[in-house]
Amino acid sequence: MDIGTVLHAMRDPAGIPSHPVIFQVLMIVTWIFHIAFVHMTLGTAAFAIYAFYKRAPGTHWEQLSMAMTKAAKVGVSLLIVLGVAPLLFTQVIYDPQWYTASVLSARWLIAFIFTLIIGYCSWFVFYYSNHEGAKKRLGVFALVGLGLFLLDGLIMHVLAYQSLLPDQWMNWYAPGGVVDSRGATLHAIQWPRYLFIISLSLPALGLYLMAYADYFRGRPDRAPEYLALARSLGHRLAVRGLVISFVLLLAWQFVHPASTRLSWHPMGWALGASLLALAWWVQRRGLQVHGYLPMLAGLGVLGVLAVWRELIRIRYMLPFGYDITDYTVHADWPSMVLFFSTFIGVGGLVGGFFLTTIYRAGRVQGLYTAERGVARLGTAAVAVLGVWITVFFAYGITIWMRNAFTL
Amino acid sequence: MDIIGFYPTFYMPWIGSAWVMGIIGVIHVVASHTSVGASFLFALLETKAYRENKPELMDFIKRYGKFLLVFSYIVGSVTGVGIWYAITIASPRGTAGLIHSFVWVWAAEWVYFTVEVIGVYALVYLIGKIDARTHLKLTWAFALASWATMLLIVGIISFMMWPGNDAWYQTGSTNDAFYNINFFAHLGVRTGSMLVMAAIVGLMVVAGMKDKPEALRKSVVRTITPMGLIGGAVAVIMFFYYLQTLPHNALVMLDSHLLPRYAWGMIAVVAVTVAYLVFAWCRPLWVTTWVAVPLFLFIGIVGVWPEERMRESMRKPYVAGQYIYGNQVIARDVPGKGIQGEVDVIAEKGLLKLHPFIPDRLRTVTPENQIEVGRVLAKISCANCHALEPGAPLRNIPDKFYGSTDKDLIAAFINGPLKHGAVTYMPRIDLPAEEVEAIAAFLADANARRAAGPPPSTVSAQAGVKQE
Repeated sequence: MDIGTVLHAMRDPAGIPSHPVIFQVLMIVTWIFHIAFVHMTLGTAAFAIYAFYKRAPGTHWEQLSMAMTKAAKVGVSLLIVLGVAPLLFTQVIYDPQWYTASVLSARWLIAFIFTLIIGYCSWFVFYYSNHEGAKKRLGVFALVGLGLFLLDGLIMHVLAYQSLLPDQWMNWYAPGGVVDSRGATLHAIQWPRYLFIISLSLPALGLYLMAYADYFRGRPDRAPEYLALARSLGHRLAVRGLVISFVLLLAWQFVHPASTRLSWHPMGWALGASLLALAWWVQRRGLQVHGYLPMLAGLGVLGVLAVWRELIRIRYMLPFGYDITDYTVHADWPSMVLFFSTFIGVGGLVGGFFLTTIYRAGRVQGLYTAERGVARLGTAAVAVLGVWITVFFAYGITIWMRNAFTL
Repeated sequence: MDIIGFYPTFYMPWIGSAWVMGIIGVIHVVASHTSVGASFLFALLETKAYRENKPELMDFIKRYGKFLLVFSYIVGSVTGVGIWYAITIASPRGTAGLIHSFVWVWAAEWVYFTVEVIGVYALVYLIGKIDARTHLKLTWAFALASWATMLLIVGIISFMMWPGNDAWYQTGSTNDAFYNINFFAHLGVRTGSMLVMAAIVGLMVVAGMKDKPEALRKSVVRTITPMGLIGGAVAVIMFFYYLQTLPHNALVMLDSHLLPRYAWGMIAVVAVTVAYLVFAWCRPLWVTTWVAVPLFLFIGIVGVWPEERMRESMRKPYVAGQYIYGNQVIARDVPGKGIQGEVDVIAEKGLLKLHPFIPDRLRTVTPENQIEVGRVLAKISCANCHALEPGAPLRNIPDKFYGSTDKDLIAAFINGPLKHGAVTYMPRIDLPAEEVEAIAAFLADANARRAAGPPPSTVSAQAGVKQE
């Protein structure tokens, strides 16, 4: 069977509820935040371990290790939850690719869940034990945690890469014509891509440390020397990390099949240029500008990466005639309004309230009393949830009764 | 229609993908219900602490919150993704059907979920670090956001059972799918249950607070146990209402297979839970770790496992909206979405011709490949609900035929009740003659191997390994 025809047949017959480009844009944008937290987590976790073994009692390394351990702990929670959205939107427009890749490595997909739980719990054990004077042997929990996070990253990479190779699927599923339904194999790994994306954890760590140092600058309980160490380490790690990532990007650039003509695609080189430009800027101005700015610029680089990643997928799908824009649309306006109103109302007010409170409270030593604006934001957060739930029920009861009475 | 968009099949020998999903699902349900219920316990306790100026109650919230961080926001959130992955590999077309109908609802739930994760950190780590009034707002916002995640997911999983009327099939509207006939009943059951789970876990946390004053422990226990009892009463009442909103196939399954197996366990769980909560209220200080942990495990496992298994089983033969069968075949037309049923075209052309993931050497049945083809077809048609190895625990098909080696008998069942959809909880499977014969030959052969060789489990396990 022609695999292009098969891909079209595998699309969900229900079609999609809005224009496919909306999902594509959301997929790209939400992935940026997901991968940012992946990098932040892996970077801070690796650094927490490094600092844990390097520390001496009472030194800044000890303090840094504890701080990065905590950052990685929160980072895992957020990368998981932020990973849901891009995966959801991927499944809407690239359902044949994602589902097939998943089924073909099904046991690994399930292993992902349990290894992530074990890895995260192991990191928590490290977090609870990484205090002043903690015994070195406890570092093994951190090593297990980080090792499993990297394995989980590899599994996700494999699924993403297998999605790009539909002409290989049948060979993997039925090698030699004999069906293998175990889903026990990781069939395709593109090491340069995986290593490049993982390598971005290093500059991400650097940028995070620079922002971290500036965030705590107003706290009297954080010694200026400690913050200066964090900032200078961050500066060095960011510059060197960006250069290392650039080298790995070059390796990735030249493993694309010639037929895709991706190796010389301008967007790939724009990504490389953005890495070098950021390295140059941080090197030149990193110590003068506020620490948040390089981190924001880093998000911009991830934006280029997210677009590049999607362009790669589009190019790989071209020979199969797979184009998301011809996906059948059955517009469903009410549910789209539900999402965007929730995103703006609840995400903005409730998420905004939580984040503002955390941000402000973290910058104050001792008790933080909310200013008038934050207090009002809190009231608005509770109110918007009350309104959302009221509308949800009022609207739902109306529809439910209409359908029940016409039964 | 020359191709049907089937996916490759994943098959887990012996337990099937259904149990993988069940195991992950049970862990997730316990963790997530505890989390949502606990958020309301927190809100009520904190309101009490604020109004009555009892800041010591916040110690309990902090301790419970830290427990939740690990239990609900590690195990719970990862297994939430896990359920998604498990249904993806078990029922890719069913999952795709749900995603494509409810993507915006899921996306809205994601907004809440993100807010909730940020909120739990804020709630736990800002106790004592921000003013009490702001923290109280934060806790109420967290509770309402947590419940909203439940509101949104219940609509989707209720639809999985059935829409309950013809509206959705005609309009294809997410409104009609989401606010289905058993949505409110199902929501009531889960909302009540979440309070019970939160109280049970809360008692476990109190039991671990030996270092805190007795008055605090008493106060907490006497606040959370009535909530657990009220939640339990709501859950039981709504469960009986829920039963009235189920489709015929679910009721048949319930009466014939599920209640005989699970009814006494369910009654026992309700009785033990009520007795435990009443006991805790009367003797708050007698709630020790040795009492609280085993009872949590009993109620969590014996209570939730049958409930989740029943909900999964009652839905059969469908996995979504009574239009996609467990074996991934679309059972009926859905004009509102332009979806066409596939059973008849499969009957006419056969799976071997229409399925894109059949190796070419198996597309034509020969005497040499008949059993191999039968095995592949059985995996496609049956393995979503059944194991294929004799003696396997998941409703294995060879045992369903009482070990029969009579191909004609097996084929007669497929060509009779299955072909005509006469078994209400099984899909209508209508296949061309050579495909029926291949399946029958494979099942007869599986039973023959068992009859001929060493102990059945060994034979089938070895066969499974080789065949896989």
